[in-house]
Amino acid sequence: MRARPLFLAVLTIACTHESGTPPASSTNAAFTPVTGTRIAAPRSGPPGEWPMPAGDYSASRYSELGEITTANVKNLHAAWTFSTGVLRGHEGQPLVVGNTMYLVTPYPNVSYALDLATEGQPLKWKVRPENAQTAVGLACCDVVNRGAAYADGKIFYNLLDGHTVAVDVASGKLLWRTQMGNLAKGETMTMAPLVVKGKVIVGSSGGEMGVRGWIAALDAMSGKEIWRAYNIGPDADIKVGKRFKPFYHSDTTANQGAKSWPAGTWQQGGATVWGWLSYDPELNLVYHGTSNPGPWNGAQRPGDNKWSAAIIARDADTGEMVWAFQPTPHDVWDYDAVNENILVDLPIGGKQRKALVHFDRNGFAYTMDRATGEVILAKPFVPMNWSTGVDLATGRPAINPDKAPYQGKKVSNICPSLEGGKNQQPAAFSPATGLFYVPTNNLCMDFEAREVAYLPGTPYIGGNAPEVPGPGGYKGEFIAWDATTGKKIWGIKEPYPVWGGGLATKGDVVFYGTLDGWFKAANARTGEVLWKFKVGSGVVGNPVTYTGPDGKQYVAIYAGIGGDMGLLIAGDVAANLPYDVRERGSTLPDLARWTSWGGMLFVFSL
Amino acid sequence: MNSCRSSAAMLLLALMPLQACTRDSRAAEVPRAPQQGAGGDLAGRFVSHQEHIQPAGVKPFTGLQLVNPHEGDAKAAAMGGKLFVAYNCVDCHGADGSGAMGPSLADNRWHFGGTAPEVFESIYQGRPEGMPAWGSLISEDQVWMLVTYVRSLSKGKDVTTENFGGKTVERTGH
Repeated sequence: MRARPLFLAVLTIACTHESGTPPASSTNAAFTPVTGTRIAAPRSGPPGEWPMPAGDYSASRYSELGEITTANVKNLHAAWTFSTGVLRGHEGQPLVVGNTMYLVTPYPNVSYALDLATEGQPLKWKVRPENAQTAVGLACCDVVNRGAAYADGKIFYNLLDGHTVAVDVASGKLLWRTQMGNLAKGETMTMAPLVVKGKVIVGSSGGEMGVRGWIAALDAMSGKEIWRAYNIGPDADIKVGKRFKPFYHSDTTANQGAKSWPAGTWQQGGATVWGWLSYDPELNLVYHGTSNPGPWNGAQRPGDNKWSAAIIARDADTGEMVWAFQPTPHDVWDYDAVNENILVDLPIGGKQRKALVHFDRNGFAYTMDRATGEVILAKPFVPMNWSTGVDLATGRPAINPDKAPYQGKKVSNICPSLEGGKNQQPAAFSPATGLFYVPTNNLCMDFEAREVAYLPGTPYIGGNAPEVPGPGGYKGEFIAWDATTGKKIWGIKEPYPVWGGGLATKGDVVFYGTLDGWFKAANARTGEVLWKFKVGSGVVGNPVTYTGPDGKQYVAIYAGIGGDMGLLIAGDVAANLPYDVRERGSTLPDLARWTSWGGMLFVFSL
Repeated sequence: MNSCRSSAAMLLLALMPLQACTRDSRAAEVPRAPQQGAGGDLAGRFVSHQEHIQPAGVKPFTGLQLVNPHEGDAKAAAMGGKLFVAYNCVDCHGADGSGAMGPSLADNRWHFGGTAPEVFESIYQGRPEGMPAWGSLISEDQVWMLVTYVRSLSKGKDVTTENFGGKTVERTGH
């Protein structure tokens, strides 16, 4: 009850349009670009390539290509397509290096090299690594893969069954295959690696299975493990030592990765690294988030549960923890902090700040100092009622007690839902406008926590959280965000959560896809939708852009519904096996009218 | 607690909330711990799958002779429903078996067969895409209760046609 006034206050900010039916764009004529912003480490290679998951180390998903503009994007048309042969959720994105495109499918994690220089894009090779079938049933949220990373003539990616592989791009030969995760404990791997100075950095999935999350580096040449850091447990295991200097004093006590848990429970405490990585070459820091603590039922793990639901900066050479910050201490809402950390320099309060911008599951957008872990500002970017704000003196959220689930009580209408204000769908940043382009969810939930026993290889959850649409009659919105002020500039409301990522381009066109299968282009300054195309399946992947051998600009996107939203929530579009027919999910009851399962790459050009 | 280290005690723990919250007198009859070598004589048996073709003259697999002692028993099904939560089946297969990480159990479609012996085998010895083998952990009788519950889920349901009206199922994402 007490939450209501706040709720309405947020509503007035977030809901400029009440229409629940497909996207009305809200525009803001007064917008002037945020000047003085820059990507921390812009790409050094050719602008027409897309060699890393997010395009660059800063996770900007920005391209210097500008052939496609707000004036001509209406002429965009499908240039060619490719079927991946797999029907599960296609999160992630292709890579383009030279005249070759590299794709990785969901399980069984087939990789393809497509020759862009030959008409019809024939395969140069196809690699099908051995990949244990058992992994299919142990992956929490569909059998997704978020893509490969390219470096030094190789592509690197993870297999669902817990292996990391390297493929020689010239021959397609599998160079090495290293077991990193333990499937018997419920560990799988779904994230996209990042390659830093000859090290392939990878992390685990399985936060719903009672695993103990880690991040590790492998030698790109040999596939041998160089370092591995757990995120929970004693200081030595989580690589906390002399260099550890968290910004907030309360975070500095020894062994808090173990002591902020009831005895030993950290061993099943989650804190996996299934999201996106970024890297600052100047500071030599790798940034990653960690997942929810396990189990969801907080009564079984009183304490802050460090470093679950946290943002962590580590030395790229050694894995040492340099700083850490927990957006949601003692998370009881399943608010993982694995979302991407975008590294940009921003003018704030008259000073140029080395910033890290993070749109958390918990609904707050954090603008932080990426050298120190200081929270510069934290503002809600979606409707929320679980917290009344973040105290900048401590970095901690003020919690609304009416919206905190605990065992034995069903708590209704908590916003955002466990899918978060944003989930894996990565945002993009444009230095041309100084804005962030953020795909968001607008869902709330009822949460019922219950006691759960740890049985290895089975889910360790202890909660049920059915979801309902958030306030305002829409379930997702693609927004433009000013991280120097913490304000939304414009938003395009969508009938479904926007579960695909964003792409920003120099032509001032931003791209994103929707669960109901629309691929859209919008004006980066106004949010006006300039073009859309109905692709073959719902979009949960991320657009990329590249220059083809013919010198033209292309934009590519996966169509293949799935992931948590498609597989678990929708139900009716998840039944992609003939022996599995599901009743409609109440959260997105009519999504299956608009799309069906698929596994296609769509490529567009003028 | 030392005893927590044994899987037997772990399963006991799993059953505690079950026993605390039920008034069903049958609760006391739920076997409390896995029996050593429970169902050992069943290990290695086969049952036929729907997609198996039997060449002429070959006898069906012997597993079909397994008999569910609780067939059609609503109380056993209800107890199976509690075991379904206690053993974390619910978080894979969804509330009321409506499907989540694992396939739906409420659609009358069976990858490995839907007769009682076939469902018994799926639970007892596991299945390739991540279904754990429970035969070495829980008693044969508990497996049969689970079989009884699981087979009750799709009774009377018609999921053949989706007309986008009517009933929906509450699902939890992760």
